[in-house]
Amino acid sequence: MSSNHWMMFSTFAEQRHFVYPTRDTYHGIILNANMAAHAPDGIARFILTKTYQQRYIIDPMTHAFQHDPRHITDSEGTVKRSIMKMAQEYGELITNNLGKRPLLPSMLKDEGECKDFVESCLNFQKSHISQRIETSEDAKYINFDEQDGTAPKPFALIAPYFYMKEATASLWLDINVKLAELTVKQKEDIPIFGMLVLSQGILLNNTLVNKIVEKFKSISLDGFLIWIDDLNEALAEESHLKGLISLGRKLRAISGSKQVINLHGGYFSVLATSEKLSVSALSGVCHGPEFGEYRAVIPVGGGIPIARYYIPLLHQRIRYREAAAILNEMGFLQDARTFHDKVCECPECRNTIDNNPDNFTLFGESNVKLVKRGSGLARMEYPTPRTKLRCLQHYLERKRIEYEFASTASIEQLKGDLNSGCEQFKEIIGLDQVSHLETWQQCLGD
Amino acid sequence: MMTTTSTICEDDLIQAITAFFSKNGYRVRHEVPNMGQSIDLAATKNRWITAVEAKLHDWTRGLKQCKAHELVADYICIAVATQNISDRLRDQALLNGYGIIRWDNRKSVCQWIERPKRNEKVWLAQRRQFSRNLRGIEYVE
Repeated sequence: MSSNHWMMFSTFAEQRHFVYPTRDTYHGIILNANMAAHAPDGIARFILTKTYQQRYIIDPMTHAFQHDPRHITDSEGTVKRSIMKMAQEYGELITNNLGKRPLLPSMLKDEGECKDFVESCLNFQKSHISQRIETSEDAKYINFDEQDGTAPKPFALIAPYFYMKEATASLWLDINVKLAELTVKQKEDIPIFGMLVLSQGILLNNTLVNKIVEKFKSISLDGFLIWIDDLNEALAEESHLKGLISLGRKLRAISGSKQVINLHGGYFSVLATSEKLSVSALSGVCHGPEFGEYRAVIPVGGGIPIARYYIPLLHQRIRYREAAAILNEMGFLQDARTFHDKVCECPECRNTIDNNPDNFTLFGESNVKLVKRGSGLARMEYPTPRTKLRCLQHYLERKRIEYEFASTASIEQLKGDLNSGCEQFKEIIGLDQVSHLETWQQCLGD
Repeated sequence: MMTTTSTICEDDLIQAITAFFSKNGYRVRHEVPNMGQSIDLAATKNRWITAVEAKLHDWTRGLKQCKAHELVADYICIAVATQNISDRLRDQALLNGYGIIRWDNRKSVCQWIERPKRNEKVWLAQRRQFSRNLRGIEYVE
């Protein structure tokens, strides 16, 4: 197990992936509060049967209430059930305008109301799932004595938080700090983490970053979760990535190498957990089963599902058709041995390729369906369930390898791997498509 | 600057290209799925497959779509309905070995501007998958 590896729970259909490749692959899991509120028994069962030996953190998702209510309501304007249940746990401050108006900083002025909000938010995280775990049918198979005779509690409690961008930080920062202070005052035996959800622009504003860090410095928080809005590390400019590293290092420095976990990070963030760096910027990084290496704070709709293959040396999921074209042009699909030597030899790839490189097509296998498009019907391809599983299991295998590599390899080895990807692929896909590997090296070198 | 000949829509262009290939002994299918994309028109003759992307506007997007067909098609073409062919389109097509077909709306004829070169990047494993998809689709006349 790598102590830097966290996985994000999203739907019950994905439960089995939290024990893949092995039961101890992940250091911990992150659950969204709306899911915990909506299906606590299911979550309790999931923890008991799948991830009992892992840590868990519940993200209170309080930022959901500050955006345009359309994002938390259905097409008829009714608040989504999971959000409603979560809001009810948090009390009147949240439910008063739920689904009608966004929560504004001016609504969080009253100290007493804020205290109640914080208390409700903490109680929810502390008890909502752990109580269900204790009363769950599956609990009889678990020996709670291994954990002081009690059901597993969250690894940390998260202070309520709100998203800040450059234009709104002056309005939200003091509120976020106040909520964190009130949270720390209620600390008992479980560590308290702050959560910083920031726009990419803030990363470039050193003065503002310093101000944020300075304000949180005075609070005895035990760690931080951070989430940078929609920061795709493979497309990000060097300045943003350096900003991320700088923010992580400053937060860790506040009180001696605190836990700083990036809620949505890719391989660059994983590299930033390396203890071999002069100062590692992050203690952990979270991702979901084939999603969540970056995520927009305000959710956007999905598209047609498409098979993607994770190319290990590029550290990127690539559309199957492009991955196949690249690997074919590089001569890596000539024979199975070449494929395993040059691309991947994880158990999923060995199993799928099965000594025949033509079987790489199985990572892109799809069914053709007729779907309504405009006034007519169009043929669309959808990856088969088996294709999705193959791509996902290969991805999870590679993620495990990456997290372990970042934990154990020397800086030279880490950079050598990036350099190798850059050198091997630039002749085929061009510098622009491999430049992230060069950028990552630059950012880690400072 | 390219100007599109008047009042032709993409469907008209595809019908015109279909007739062009059919007349030359090809069997033509429309909207053939290929690795999450769709080939506007696939024309087959004996064992050879020609993929055609038809574009009234935005031929740069058409060229990108053509790229995805390199794993499965022996010949790749872009079909346009412009009075003039820009140097950039011609250069890009020549560079990649793609053919260019132009529909002349005034004369109501299709003509080759550039003939495609044989694509050497076909990956037979993917081609077999594609051929299976192809067999499930009816010809158009």
